[in-house]
Amino acid sequence: MPRRLPLRACTALSAAVLIAAWLVLTWGGYVRDLFLPPPGELWDGFMDLLTDGYRNRTLLEHLEASLWRIFAGFVTGAVAGTLLGLAMGYWRAVEAIFTPYIEFLRPLPQLAYLLLLIIWFGIGETSKIILLFLAALPVSAVAARDGVRNVPLQRIHAARSLGASEWQIFRHVILPSALPEIFTGARIAVGVVYGTLIAAEIIAGSSGLGWMILDAGRFLRSDYVFVGIILIGLMGLALNWALVALETRVVHWAGR
Amino acid sequence: MIESRRPYWLLSVVSVVGFFAIWHVITVAQLAPANLLPSMTQVWDAFVDVLHNGYRETTLWQNAAATLGRCLAGFGLAAVTGVPLGLWMGRSPALAASIDWIIQFMRPLPPLSYMVLLILWLGTGDTSKVALLFLAAFPTIAMAATAGVRGVNQQRIHAALACGASPQQVFRHVVLPSCLPTVMTGLRISLAVTFTTVVAAELMTASDGLGWMVFSASHFLRTDIVMLGILILGLLGMALSRALLSLDLWLVHWRGRE
Amino acid sequence: MTEITISAHRRTLLKAGIGLGGAALLSAVPRRVRAATPDKINIAFFTETSPSAIAKGEGWLEDVTKAKINWIEVGSGAEINTAIAAGSVDIGVGIGSAPTAAGLSQSIGYQVIYIRDNIGPAEELTVRTAANIKKPSDLIGKKVGVPFGSTSHFRLLGFLKTNGLTQKQVTVLDLRSDALVAAWQRGDIDAAYVWAPAKSKILAAGGEVFRTYDKLEKAGYVIADLIVARTAFAEAYPDTVVAILKAENRALDVWTSTPDKAADIIGKQAGVTADVAKADLLEYDFVAPKRQLEANWLGTPGHVGRFAEVLQGTAKFLAEQKSIRTVPDLSVFQKGINTVPLTKSIA
Repeated sequence: MPRRLPLRACTALSAAVLIAAWLVLTWGGYVRDLFLPPPGELWDGFMDLLTDGYRNRTLLEHLEASLWRIFAGFVTGAVAGTLLGLAMGYWRAVEAIFTPYIEFLRPLPQLAYLLLLIIWFGIGETSKIILLFLAALPVSAVAARDGVRNVPLQRIHAARSLGASEWQIFRHVILPSALPEIFTGARIAVGVVYGTLIAAEIIAGSSGLGWMILDAGRFLRSDYVFVGIILIGLMGLALNWALVALETRVVHWAGR
Repeated sequence: MIESRRPYWLLSVVSVVGFFAIWHVITVAQLAPANLLPSMTQVWDAFVDVLHNGYRETTLWQNAAATLGRCLAGFGLAAVTGVPLGLWMGRSPALAASIDWIIQFMRPLPPLSYMVLLILWLGTGDTSKVALLFLAAFPTIAMAATAGVRGVNQQRIHAALACGASPQQVFRHVVLPSCLPTVMTGLRISLAVTFTTVVAAELMTASDGLGWMVFSASHFLRTDIVMLGILILGLLGMALSRALLSLDLWLVHWRGRE
Repeated sequence: MTEITISAHRRTLLKAGIGLGGAALLSAVPRRVRAATPDKINIAFFTETSPSAIAKGEGWLEDVTKAKINWIEVGSGAEINTAIAAGSVDIGVGIGSAPTAAGLSQSIGYQVIYIRDNIGPAEELTVRTAANIKKPSDLIGKKVGVPFGSTSHFRLLGFLKTNGLTQKQVTVLDLRSDALVAAWQRGDIDAAYVWAPAKSKILAAGGEVFRTYDKLEKAGYVIADLIVARTAFAEAYPDTVVAILKAENRALDVWTSTPDKAADIIGKQAGVTADVAKADLLEYDFVAPKRQLEANWLGTPGHVGRFAEVLQGTAKFLAEQKSIRTVPDLSVFQKGINTVPLTKSIA
């Protein structure tokens, strides 16, 4: 008979164990603050960043810079990718033309071509947003394409037999059926864009959460690094929840 | 509605050939400065040169092997630990409640953000890099395994038990095959993420690897080697994806036929 | 819900997985072997034009130490700091005084054993000729690129401070050398504060030097490239450290006595032609070992020289930038300078 522990207690217990280990390691002096800052230092670092900012920009400005890049890259990439994917799913010819590029771009590590993008588009925001755009595009395209392909043929045939035009079939049968997969693709795309964000901010950045972590890391200011990592993690969670909330509302509205 | 596939396959070929044609035209017509966009011959020459003479005392095979080795080591470790742990979490709500929140927090964290910490803790050698790749690959695999177990059709379990199967047999013959599709999908996504991360891992304190080659070449503004590195990385990534996809289709031969 | 406990089969697999992971981690922990001389030394270096490249290229360090040398290429002093803090590097060659000041302030655990060069005019502000920048205030509204955390960064910020300019008036961008050159060529930046080889490339592409180094040095913004040794390593293998410095001295001799031959070897190591290498090298003030022991620089064992104050001044500046949290006492910097191996190496 497995023990029936209340689940909340399990989460709280494991969190408590980790925090206890943290306190023992830092307060007990087993680990230097350089490697693992004690809670006091983390809090001071956080307050420091809140009040004085980092390198002449407030913490909020760094957050906004990162969020704006994620938003711009993701929206452009996901929209373009979804449109491309829908076209690819619907017309075999389009799929044949674009598949080699999508299949090549998808596994390509972003940092590898970032330097090329900077050489071509400069050190400003353009090259970063293009990088994030290219990171989101293949994922969204594949998801949309699969979404269209997986629409049950009976539905399309049924709609056709009722006399619906191709456009009506697309809008009322294919699109709603594909929507869940499109959203899954969007969630994965956000993840990829988010992961690529730091890569985008390191080579030629002077702002953004990712750049802040890297710059603080250069001077081994572990307190700022930890605060930055925690903030990035929380921001990522928030983005994911926002997307899930959006998905449930839109997919529900679009009908099943 | 079976359409002949031949015309479409040709279209893909034409598309790729068209890409190289446009590249050639741009370089021949000098529409872009030579150091911004190397010509195809320059990239090919760089390839032959690096193949024979290596790049800065490292051979091409050495770099490819180093990158692949790190990628597979991190991924392999994550698979070997993530799949059992994820399966266990799927069956044990208590364990899931204890660990899931850690995994959920780790998942959106960009690997480069904690690279410095890993180097501090584990040194500048391959240990920190493989650890980075392990941490990048783990959450997806564990979550896929958990989702796989949770998604098992309860009726099948009941039916098997009703036929007198032991819990062990139920696990081996019902649960495990049922979660295989989800686990394989998770492994494929994870490998893609890991491959992307390995180049980031070679950004700092590396002395070999395809990513290191690209960064080092860019330092000397050798855009031809940078292009070469990108092409090789892209092809390698595609090959890895294909390989795992083939494994997936072979193992999960019942995909789409529930 | 049906109660299905984890089968023994799965449990074994899980234990195996955890065991594998644990074994992998354990095997990564380095084993410390106590010996009079080490069999392996980890040396961090830059790919740059300096006499140290001769010692590396000719294999002198391997010869004098009879050890296997693991050459770790780094792109910044910050990487050396991280690597030594992690215990992965024993000797850092060519680390700038700015990262060194940060490292000593944070008790990373190394000591300065050698001044490789006094940078002087070798790192300078280069401005776009077409932008017609003649005085400091002309930089207002312009963009300057510099690798953050480097000695150049330190100098640039010192330049802004001594001329009453803020970072809101002059945009300072964090750019590594290759991105810096690319940005310059694209016209994204109007000025840069950097060293060779990026500096020569920028000068060749419509740039000119805006002299800042002499005024800055007078104002106390002295920058130098140093050699540091991990304290634990230096204490365990003092003779090895002396041998390494002997090799560095020998390399410096090759430069001072036969500059063309030296430029040839250095150029090959740095990936530039001998002419470019020689032009770069001439801009550095390579401090001869005896001069390093003077009171102005490192001083002698027991009488630490004024370089400790230079390091502390640098640290104070870094603290103002919030790059480090606190500036320790002068004694920390004095203890951070160890001239015993240097003295022995010229004996």
